[in-house]
Amino acid sequence: MAYITLFAILALVPIVFDDSFLLNQLSRYSVFAMLAVSVSLVWGIGGILSLGQGIAFGLAAYGMGMTMQMQFQDPITNPIPSFMLTNELEHLPLLWEPFWSTPLGLMLAWLVPVTFFVGFGAMMFQARVAGVFVSIMTLAMLAAWYSMAYDMQPFTAGFNGISPPLPFSIFGVDIDPYSPLAYWICIGFLGTLTILTKLLIHSKFGLIVQATRDDAERARFLGYNVAYYQVVVFAISGFIAACAGICWVMVVQYVSPTSLELSMSVSAVVWAAVGGRLSLMGAILGAFLVNGIQSYMGDELQQVWMIILGFIFIGVVLFLPKGLISIFEYIFSIFDSKIIKQSKNQTENEAL
Amino acid sequence: MSVNFFWKAFELYPFLNALFIGLSLASIWFIAAIGLAIIYGTMGVVNMAHGEFIMVGAYTTYVLQSLLGINFFICLPLVFIIVGLFGWGVERTIIRSLYKRPLDTLLATWGISLVLVQAVRLIFGTSPLYVSVPNWLNFQIDFSFLHLSGLRLLIIIIAMGLFFATWFLINRTSWGMRIRAVMQDKEMASCFGINTDHVYGLTFAYGAGLAGAAGGLFGALKTLFPDMGSGYIVEAFLVVVVGGIGLLGTVFSATALGELNSVFSYFTNDTFARFVLFTLVVVFLRFRPQGILTDGLKRR
Amino acid sequence: MNLTRRSMLKNAGLMGATAMAAPTLWIKDAMAADPWIKKGGKIKVGILFSQSGDLAVIENDSNQVAQYAIDEINANGGVAGMQVEPVIVDAKSDIKVYSEKISQLILRDKVISTFGGYTSASRRAVAPIVMARDHLFYYPTCYEGRECTQNIINTGPLANQHSFDLIPFMVKNFGKKVYLIGSNYIWPKESNKNAKVWLEKVGGEVVGEDYVPLGSSEFAPIFNKVRQAKPDFIFSTVVGDSDIAMHKQFIEEGFKSEKLPIAALTTGEIEVRAMGAAAGAGHFLSAPYFQTLDTPTNHRFVENYLKSKYGGGGVTHYNMEETYLSIYVWKAGVEAALKKTGNIEEITPRMIRDVSAGIVIDDNISPEGKVWIDPDNFNIWLKPKIGQCQANGQFKIVQSAAEHVAPNPMSIYPERGVCKADGLHSPDGKIEKNVL
Repeated sequence: MAYITLFAILALVPIVFDDSFLLNQLSRYSVFAMLAVSVSLVWGIGGILSLGQGIAFGLAAYGMGMTMQMQFQDPITNPIPSFMLTNELEHLPLLWEPFWSTPLGLMLAWLVPVTFFVGFGAMMFQARVAGVFVSIMTLAMLAAWYSMAYDMQPFTAGFNGISPPLPFSIFGVDIDPYSPLAYWICIGFLGTLTILTKLLIHSKFGLIVQATRDDAERARFLGYNVAYYQVVVFAISGFIAACAGICWVMVVQYVSPTSLELSMSVSAVVWAAVGGRLSLMGAILGAFLVNGIQSYMGDELQQVWMIILGFIFIGVVLFLPKGLISIFEYIFSIFDSKIIKQSKNQTENEAL
Repeated sequence: MSVNFFWKAFELYPFLNALFIGLSLASIWFIAAIGLAIIYGTMGVVNMAHGEFIMVGAYTTYVLQSLLGINFFICLPLVFIIVGLFGWGVERTIIRSLYKRPLDTLLATWGISLVLVQAVRLIFGTSPLYVSVPNWLNFQIDFSFLHLSGLRLLIIIIAMGLFFATWFLINRTSWGMRIRAVMQDKEMASCFGINTDHVYGLTFAYGAGLAGAAGGLFGALKTLFPDMGSGYIVEAFLVVVVGGIGLLGTVFSATALGELNSVFSYFTNDTFARFVLFTLVVVFLRFRPQGILTDGLKRR
Repeated sequence: MNLTRRSMLKNAGLMGATAMAAPTLWIKDAMAADPWIKKGGKIKVGILFSQSGDLAVIENDSNQVAQYAIDEINANGGVAGMQVEPVIVDAKSDIKVYSEKISQLILRDKVISTFGGYTSASRRAVAPIVMARDHLFYYPTCYEGRECTQNIINTGPLANQHSFDLIPFMVKNFGKKVYLIGSNYIWPKESNKNAKVWLEKVGGEVVGEDYVPLGSSEFAPIFNKVRQAKPDFIFSTVVGDSDIAMHKQFIEEGFKSEKLPIAALTTGEIEVRAMGAAAGAGHFLSAPYFQTLDTPTNHRFVENYLKSKYGGGGVTHYNMEETYLSIYVWKAGVEAALKKTGNIEEITPRMIRDVSAGIVIDDNISPEGKVWIDPDNFNIWLKPKIGQCQANGQFKIVQSAAEHVAPNPMSIYPERGVCKADGLHSPDGKIEKNVL
């Protein structure tokens, strides 16, 4: 299948290229791809346009950042991160205590965003909030979290952000953000999550979710608890976004309120939309493509590129709701039908 | 953020002045939000580019003023017309095809906002620019506890004027009647011979024009830079969400939120106030999505 | 179960890691083989500032002056006879881009040093990568200190070099009561902490303290509180667009700079140009450099810069001058390193950094006068000055420190220790590297 080919190609990159900068770049792109997949799941499949995937991304990123920072601290000689000393904290805040333990810290980095998504989702979907209102609620919630991360400087270092001085270390291994190991971890996450999500979509659960997307009232009349399905798919997308957040901080060694910025969340929607929200492959390709072009354009072209991207985005929304990948699918379908026609003619001839 | 700070800071006259400043904030938010409220109320369109319309209005004022030397007060109605025309064009080309798809409208308008910000960046660069007001506006009112600058007073007056003008437009003119009809039920209205496309186009143009004029005013109060739109969109959304789609609702919520923000800022700091406001949006959308004063309208 | 001692586990894990994928984890060594500067080629340096976005109003001028300085150096024979090639990257006022581009500059473009950054957030975003690669980053602007890193050289004032002269001056000339207004992040908060130390020394009193979010432009509530508190002067650490909005609204609210001056650490010629001289006049700034500084070097610098293709902005500003200085500090560092090794191909960023200890830039190059890099903490010794903005947008220097002031990143944290060239020496004898 196409997916396996894609991931095989991606996995082979470090063997072919010895460019550590390229590996780090691609690791970043795969994080963005994960975000795009989470959007594709919740929006393309679930019909919920969440502008707040950044919440899970940001919360997990902070969790990972806190874990990595505490790896650097020593309980006896250097128990408190230096930014806290500036903010006149004498002791490590209770919030940070669990992060002494790396496994616990990682678990929290996953658990907190997913739990929040479950709770927030339940609040929204139980009340049958839908469509535009969901988008605005997720947007507002994201902005609220951003304000909080920005404001609670003693806990989050505010705008300056947390920069753990050393790379992430697990099971005694240092994961250098520029190494193939980090790259494989990110691609591994991306691949596993994508394939699992694909399986989910094609399962009975996935079919019901798509039914709720197409017409929630009808699904309700058929007896399905629509709110339940919506909450679950929302929470799963939050899980994927949380994985993205964890990998992100592993790869860039820095977390700040910018991970909770609106532009990040909306960019994820743009990538998924441009690539193809109904197809996970489309979302991944969209993320890689847009970010790749953005990074490699010269700075003068950059300004123009942003306008072009805006127009492409508008165009896709207007004319190609299935994204650019639908063009490929259309081309393939022509080939398919041609081949089918040919073989049909052959069998007809043979039959004669 | 300690509680002590809360009570220690209280003193009557500055507190009253804080209330007055809240009125100034409220008038700014009202002007910023009214266009959005009208567009959403009539057409169900969430215009994510509303902040950028404000920004475009501000830059247009700058151009009119600095390149053509037009007086500030004449700039405002001109900008209203220019941005209104621009809005009408946007509606005809992009929004029109997306009426059945509200989520896609949201995204398309976001795309428009991206394009507008970039275009302004390309044309004007990123350095802040400023619009100047006629000198006679540079007075302050110093009346016992009241301290308000001339420009802010002007904005309050304009906000009130806009309220009455819009109220008159919607409730006392035939065009307003058509808008109200379309607001209630689009299909029925067109059955009665109302050209709904026309109404939509003009409504969007009116909303956009209001945003543009708002931009002209705000540009004088603050500075112009390409990203300035994002500072208004959130507050505008907040006002519309809390107040609902009616005119009175918008006024009420703008006042309430402006005062809340000012009072909060008086006692604690700005960022925390924002956090509270955003959480308010979420709560409101969950429990009373039609806003404070509107009743019975279904969630679109 | 906790991962208690990193080192212990690291050693255990290293063996496993080597077995796993040995060559790939040692990229650093693989890179060390190639010389940074090749004979017969050009010396590449990275220039990483925001040319777009909300910080561009300040950072772009630094970008321009850096290129100007490199052109000037190239015209005068380059560094050690070789031409310098700048690799210019736009950070777009976005921290994520800063972090992405620094690794591009180090790994892909293989520059030997980078100049850039403005906000502390930008410096902290690039720091881990610079430290991991043992590279060299010149940070040419004022910051709060409280750090002790071994890969960054700073040419702007630290918190203890600013407030030191400004606070006593303002208290002496205007009164004891001060209202602190700053942008809501760490640098203003640190600066205010330093300011409070000085206020205590001269008997000053803080009557209010407020922070606004970066980019915010609504100051009416704060000015209302100011009116209530009746301070003698305002101490401002507001940056960027907020700074401009604050000055404009100051006038709209009816305040006069003669009665209630704003003493700032950031509002320089560029900000005044943006807000209009009318809004800036009468306020004070503490900086090591002003465009009106009366030295032959400065006159030459200002004249040549404004005449050049980069000088379209029309003003010079302390941030720009600090960037200009950082390029020359780097040049001196490369030349000193060359003298040490004799072979230009052996020069590494680490070497340049280490030989820059105590390096001096004389009056004939430095527009602000003789300065030198502290051999312990690699910040800069300078003479702070106080300027008052005039009606024409330029500053009149009203006070100038007689002696150079030592930079001390831990000045209000003596319990943390002393920052030296190899790390932070804490009072109990330990040496800690990379204290961020």
